[in-house]
Amino acid sequence: MKTSSSLIKFDNGLDLACGARLDSFELMVETYGELNKDKSNGILICHAFSGNHHAAGISEDKKDIGWWDNIIGPGKAVDTNKYFVVCSNNLGGCSGSSGPLSTNPISKKPYGKDFPAVSVVDWVNSQKQLSNYFEIKKWHMVLGGSLGGMQALQWSISFPESLNKAGIFAAAAKSSTQNIAMNEVGREAIRKDKNFMDGDYLLHDVKPKNGLKTARMLGHITYSSEGIMDEKFGRNFQDIKSKIDKGIDYQVENYLQYKGEKFSDIFDANSYILMTKAMDGYDASYQTDGDLEQALSPVKAKLLLVGFDSDWLYPPKRSKEIQLAAMNANVACSCVILEGKQGHDSFLFASDRYVNILKAFIEAE
Amino acid sequence: MNNLKANIIKNWIPKESKVIDFGCGDGSLLKNLIDHKGVHGYGVEIDHAKIQECVYRGISVIEKDIDEGIDDFKSSSFDVAIMASSIQCLKEPHIALRKMLHLSKQCIVTLPNLGFWKCRIDLALGRMPVTPNLPSSWYETKNLHLCTIRDFEGLCESEGFVINERFYLNDKGAKNILSSAMPNAFASEGVYLLARK
Repeated sequence: MKTSSSLIKFDNGLDLACGARLDSFELMVETYGELNKDKSNGILICHAFSGNHHAAGISEDKKDIGWWDNIIGPGKAVDTNKYFVVCSNNLGGCSGSSGPLSTNPISKKPYGKDFPAVSVVDWVNSQKQLSNYFEIKKWHMVLGGSLGGMQALQWSISFPESLNKAGIFAAAAKSSTQNIAMNEVGREAIRKDKNFMDGDYLLHDVKPKNGLKTARMLGHITYSSEGIMDEKFGRNFQDIKSKIDKGIDYQVENYLQYKGEKFSDIFDANSYILMTKAMDGYDASYQTDGDLEQALSPVKAKLLLVGFDSDWLYPPKRSKEIQLAAMNANVACSCVILEGKQGHDSFLFASDRYVNILKAFIEAE
Repeated sequence: MNNLKANIIKNWIPKESKVIDFGCGDGSLLKNLIDHKGVHGYGVEIDHAKIQECVYRGISVIEKDIDEGIDDFKSSSFDVAIMASSIQCLKEPHIALRKMLHLSKQCIVTLPNLGFWKCRIDLALGRMPVTPNLPSSWYETKNLHLCTIRDFEGLCESEGFVINERFYLNDKGAKNILSSAMPNAFASEGVYLLARK
């Protein structure tokens, strides 16, 4: 499946939770499949922290494969032969949507660190405008993993009438203290990079690559699991020829170096900070004084919560918390805990059971 | 689940009530209750294939081992909790029943009767009973705490569970004179509606 993205401009603007306003904004969007006549077969995909709009297929320009290509496509769990699938780069991201890399209309320079703080609620509000653009009144389903799952959950709270089902995978109703702590280490690595320049690196034509790399290396450890690291790398030594750095001994070091390096080439540091802040700040029960049950009481969508047993970043108990609150609020919800040895990243992999449950949920009445 | 038993249970469930079915299987009972009684229904199941079937039927299902699972719902409240043909598989049936009646006003329990005459014959002949209600051989059964009708009703009395309704079914899943008159010997299964005192 070849895919191309398009940039959609929204002139109505957006009032953000932080109090700032964007008079207009743009979202980079990919779609797969065909919207049917009554516009009832739309499925919205929400991406995780470092994801983007390119969820499936092979992009025409860069030839890279979408981050959820094993889940989305013809005949796959999210079947593009049946459904019109939409994924947009989150506001504040660095893959084409309005964000720190965009030009500030007032200063005529890139926003950089001055791009306003964006929240999960803001993302959902911007995606609602995207629904209006496609004239989709009600999504068949909104789904995502991790930070994407938080968006799917928030969709069901913010716009109860606008979706039939929500798929919330490897997510939580709010970030834990430990989540915030991990993210802060990543941000600190970026801030302490001498090229960060207090967030104004774009004006000096440099990039805080070292900080971003360190942040990503830590991130990768948290997305992974002890088991999969043992299985993939063990205590095997890296062969001399393919060592990225001469100080490297073990394969796992080389892997983290490689992944961190690659990420620091493509991701924007201000976006990193903005996205992790949005993740830390999310609390589905923010408006109900911490009462998740009350927060979920307006929900009309059926919820599917999926946790993965090796995920220690957003462990299964976070999914169970949402399930319990939803059940107490008389919201239809299912909760399954799947074996997924890849830790938090398990939501990205198409294990048989995951695919079957997802298919069953999408197809169910 | 046969039609008579499903109908008995259906009749005991108030309209639009909130129901939890421990060991809900493929969700067919809950589907029936949702379609005909408009209940808010939730199932608890551990078997992967059955969970998938529930999801496909649009039934809310929670993957959980009942032995550990009842405690997780202690902050919840239901009108009716159902435990069909699973109570004898639990590690501590009497504690499970107490907990169920804590989170739910009423509780529907069905259980196989080890006092059923065919079981007695099997035992008299020196082997573990295998009947339609106890289909597995001794080495592969999940039943840990088999009991007779008399045993179960004795437990209810000593625990202070009120039996509001009861049906005794024979091994065809039907009611007949013998199974009603002498349930401990002629009922293959007991179906109970329990409540707190």
